Amino acid sequence: MKNHVSLTVNGRRVAAEIEPRLSLADFLREHLHLTATHLGCEHGVCGACTVLADGKPIRACIALAVSLDDAEIRTLEGLQGDPLMEALKDAFHEKHGLQCGFCTPGMLVSAWDLLRRRRDLDERTVRVAMSGNLCRCTGYQGIVRSIMAAAAHAGSAKGPA
Amino acid sequence: MTATRVSGEGVGASVRRVEDRRLLDGGGEYLADLRVPGTVEVAFLRSPVAHARLKGVDIPTQFRNSVFLAEDIGFTKPIVAATAAPGFQSSEYPALAREKLRFVGEMIAMCIAPTRAEAEDIAQACTLDLDELPAVWDIDVALAADAPRIHEGWRDNVFLRSAITAGDLAGIKANAPVVVQKTLRMGRHAGVSLETRGVLAHYDRRLGELVVYSSTQFPHVIRTVLAQSLGIAESRLRVVAPDVGGGFGIKGNFHPEELAVAALAMKLGCPVRWIEDRREHLVASPHAREHRYRITAYADRSGRIRGLEAEVVVDAGAYSVWPWTAAMEAGMSAGIMTGPYDIPVYHGRAVTVCTNKSPLGPYRGVGRSGACFALETMIDAIARAVGRNPEDVRLENMVPPSAMPYRSATGKFYDSGDYPECARRALAAIDPAAVRARQARGEPDGRLIGFGMASYTEQSAHGTAEWVARGMPVVFGYEPALARFTPDGKLILFVGIQNHGQGLETTLAQVAHQELGIAVADIVVRHGDSSVSPYGMGTFASRSMTMAGGAVSRACAMLAEKVKRIGAHLLQAPIDAVTLAGGQVAFGSQSVGFAAIAEAAYRHPERLPSGEEPGLEANAVYEPQCSTGAFSYATHACTVAVDPGTGMVELLDYVVCHDCGTMVNPMIVEAQVVGGVVQGLGTALYEEIPYDENGQPLASTFLDYLIPGAPEAPDVRVLHMETPSPHTRFGIKGMGEGGAIAPPAAVVNAVNDALRPLGAEVTETPITPERVLTAILAAEARR
Repeated sequence: MKNHVSLTVNGRRVAAEIEPRLSLADFLREHLHLTATHLGCEHGVCGACTVLADGKPIRACIALAVSLDDAEIRTLEGLQGDPLMEALKDAFHEKHGLQCGFCTPGMLVSAWDLLRRRRDLDERTVRVAMSGNLCRCTGYQGIVRSIMAAAAHAGSAKGPA
Repeated sequence: MTATRVSGEGVGASVRRVEDRRLLDGGGEYLADLRVPGTVEVAFLRSPVAHARLKGVDIPTQFRNSVFLAEDIGFTKPIVAATAAPGFQSSEYPALAREKLRFVGEMIAMCIAPTRAEAEDIAQACTLDLDELPAVWDIDVALAADAPRIHEGWRDNVFLRSAITAGDLAGIKANAPVVVQKTLRMGRHAGVSLETRGVLAHYDRRLGELVVYSSTQFPHVIRTVLAQSLGIAESRLRVVAPDVGGGFGIKGNFHPEELAVAALAMKLGCPVRWIEDRREHLVASPHAREHRYRITAYADRSGRIRGLEAEVVVDAGAYSVWPWTAAMEAGMSAGIMTGPYDIPVYHGRAVTVCTNKSPLGPYRGVGRSGACFALETMIDAIARAVGRNPEDVRLENMVPPSAMPYRSATGKFYDSGDYPECARRALAAIDPAAVRARQARGEPDGRLIGFGMASYTEQSAHGTAEWVARGMPVVFGYEPALARFTPDGKLILFVGIQNHGQGLETTLAQVAHQELGIAVADIVVRHGDSSVSPYGMGTFASRSMTMAGGAVSRACAMLAEKVKRIGAHLLQAPIDAVTLAGGQVAFGSQSVGFAAIAEAAYRHPERLPSGEEPGLEANAVYEPQCSTGAFSYATHACTVAVDPGTGMVELLDYVVCHDCGTMVNPMIVEAQVVGGVVQGLGTALYEEIPYDENGQPLASTFLDYLIPGAPEAPDVRVLHMETPSPHTRFGIKGMGEGGAIAPPAAVVNAVNDALRPLGAEVTETPITPERVLTAILAAEARR
């Protein structure tokens, strides 16, 4: 049994006939070949698959693609060139916020969402806000410092969008 | 030790990583991102029971051509990982189970379909005909005299018993005024790379070779063993590790999944892919730890340890992993037990037990996390027994710098360092006096404050002698590098290690820069592909920076000589009068760059000096001068708050002072220390896969298996010391694993310090709230 779904991914209109059980993550990765969205647990805990649906972060591994008819999906690929995302990437590079890189796309999308909402961040706030994204390499220190640096930089450049 | 020149991008500089860009843009290419047209997906049908005779698999008629059993890949050889140690009981680990199932998660069949979901449907539709056997689910059950045998023909359920005997323990025992004994346990857990394992295999018709992509830490070694297991020539097999999303040791084994998937691709002639899911990873990837200790120290009244006796028992699960063997974990623990301390008399026993659990394999800190936990909690116990502060007892027992180099009772050769100074610096940073004052004042919320510390030595970059001594199937003695200029004057380094988060694409370029002065941006590091790089051993055992760094240095130093000869000739200068610096060969005010030199070497041989061979590349192999290893060391110190009502433990402060010799890139070193610490905190506080009496694993998702998240992780303060190793190029010592070694010991000591007023003590990791409360209730019951 297949269902019709029609949604916007990174600004591009996409229509497909898919099985109801197909997750958004598998739809993005296997059907659209957008592989920045990573799968670390496939049960909604690790956050590596975090993408934006209608502007809000969701776990692409436990969202069914058919349930997102008409939704606007944005993945890390779709945030290329966005000034806030570029500031985050620069900060992750400068503050050594990644090692193996596997959790990184999810971290960046979650951090982007956090900085969209607020810029007055202390370390504890960042740690709690990022609790939905697991990393096994960095011990989080580089990630937290990267996000705080990006917040400081983006905050001085312009206020929250 | 060669004096190092410090330059902007060379050894010692915190160069920002060159591998970051593709990873930040989501352009990393991990195993599941690879696409080969026509790929079929594999779901493994795995054993639902711990121990059973497998009588048959009932495959629904419509799926007969989609399910493959052991007999379908009967041409493969089973995995056999045996040590040369006398008495080791060996077994065969087939890619797919034949007559018997020995752990929950063992593979029985491969089910294939166009998508993973459909392949899983097929696996679910199959039924198993089993005769269940009693589960050997625990060390005590396995060691019972009447225990069922897991492997037929074995004397008992023990892979290996071994012993280390150094000095006259009987004499020490007879005269020791202070005797302290402890019984300890470290829980079983999983490695948990965030990217799971995975294999993609296909046949390249043009080259006539099987291509196997695997998320592995050592592609060359996998090629060797896989070719043997498949019965094909190594020249007909290519193994590629693409971007690898964390390893930590789990991906440094030859896995039966690699063999099964490669065999199926050979059989079917089409591309085959398996991507491990998280449940498979937690249940069926090689597990970590599960140690039990009985340790007795004999000391004088000041707490100076005169002799030590320790028994390590490790639950190694059902099979011996290749190439490490089941015996590595217990053997390494018993072998490093005396740590950074000058303990002249030591008797150690290592027992490796076979049970119906997923096989145990190497995980960051192999063996040593347990040894450190056992010895360091013992030192705190000794300090309590003699009424002194644990830090004072530690410092007095440590190997002094004047004794370096030092041979330990277990025969380890500590090359250099100042262990007491390292401990003093960690102590100064954490300030135990201030912690004790706070402890004495009491907390408004009723929590109890505790201080703990732990020290260790980390053997790294060990070469031929060490691996021969361990009786390993492979002797990981060296590492190669091929340094090749391209005709436009850029440099490619081909290396046999595998970079999966360590930053080696940057740090090896820094070494090349150190030798040649070429900009890091002009260097490419190629690794992880058996058809691209010279044969190397891969990345594990804190070896790659020392070993591959040494090889890159040697190859680039050879290239530098040729570059100077050609440069001098182009400048019409005597070779002795030119210098190579800043990417230029210079003679007075004249200079020539790599582009012109490479152009002459490749495209204009008529410009070369007479007798100079065209081309501009150099091959080198590096072995450290002393192959017993370069020993890094550290002291960790922490402050915790323990809630006696809930049993929750919070880390308030965590300090590491460490010494890994010369640091190639201090930024990367520091981050690896921190990452290691937080993994170690997982061992200490959160991570565990218990098994029930049926041999069923009780943690199989990230909801019941907890790894540290950002809120639980402390902001670790890292202090660096740099005592170069006398045995390695640049004085580098390995450090990748070290951060994970000490946290269980340091945190247990801190928690027990906090619980002292209650008379309670924890002796088992992870220190779950339940274990804290159980310890408190037990102490109340005793009063």
